[in-house]
Amino acid sequence: MFDRLDKMNFETAEAHCDGPCGVYDPAQARIEAESVFMLTKKILDLKRPEGDDAKAHAAYQNTLTRFIAIKEERAELAKHHVLVLWTDYFKPEHLEKYPDLHTLFWKTAKLCSSCKQEVSREHAQELLDNIKKIHEMFWATKNKDVEWYLASQ
Amino acid sequence: MENELPEAGWKERILFFLGKRTGVLVEGNSMLPTLKDGDAVLINKKAGFETGDVVLANHPFKQSVKILKRIGEISADNKFSLTGDNADESSDSRSFGAIPKSEILGKVTCRLK
Repeated sequence: MFDRLDKMNFETAEAHCDGPCGVYDPAQARIEAESVFMLTKKILDLKRPEGDDAKAHAAYQNTLTRFIAIKEERAELAKHHVLVLWTDYFKPEHLEKYPDLHTLFWKTAKLCSSCKQEVSREHAQELLDNIKKIHEMFWATKNKDVEWYLASQ
Repeated sequence: MENELPEAGWKERILFFLGKRTGVLVEGNSMLPTLKDGDAVLINKKAGFETGDVVLANHPFKQSVKILKRIGEISADNKFSLTGDNADESSDSRSFGAIPKSEILGKVTCRLK
């Protein structure tokens, strides 16, 4: 009777990684940060319609609202990808080599929040600059020379 | 592999039926080659722990998620560093830090066929 145990009632314990096993790339954060930068630029460049044309005002409000909504969403996604790299990919041995790692990630996450709240071209650019630093740090840990590029340029 | 887990013998099976062992199914590959996805193990919740033991623990950040890892180090302040045998596919104390003894639920005593 002891040969066969009913495993159906066993609870499950995880023995895996939190992310897609071993697959990380700062490109995810870069793409979202680029969207935030472009949307910030579009919001700042958007011209308010002159006169009382109701249709033109509706179209303006609609476009502005869409830009804002997508910027909010993309800034949150950028933060998510930055946090995943920070907490799941980077390990204590990386911290020894890059002592400012925590400061860089902390400031980058905060910049994502700033870009979500504000319409600041400077902060959106700063966010991209920080993600470039993360990109360089990340690929250096893998001893790979991966060129930084922007999809929007 | 160091600290290879034994197969469950009749004594462990009787202890399970007496309620002295808990059964747990393994999900994932972080404990390869010691344990693979789908393996079943028995846990002794009353056992003491030492470095090298495979243990069941509460995930420090995910409520109600339990993890199976090996004790890599026990610090002077009784914090346990847990690691997966398959480091490339493991989220462990390298990312979530050492965990207190109170979060370790039991020691894996054997693997079930």
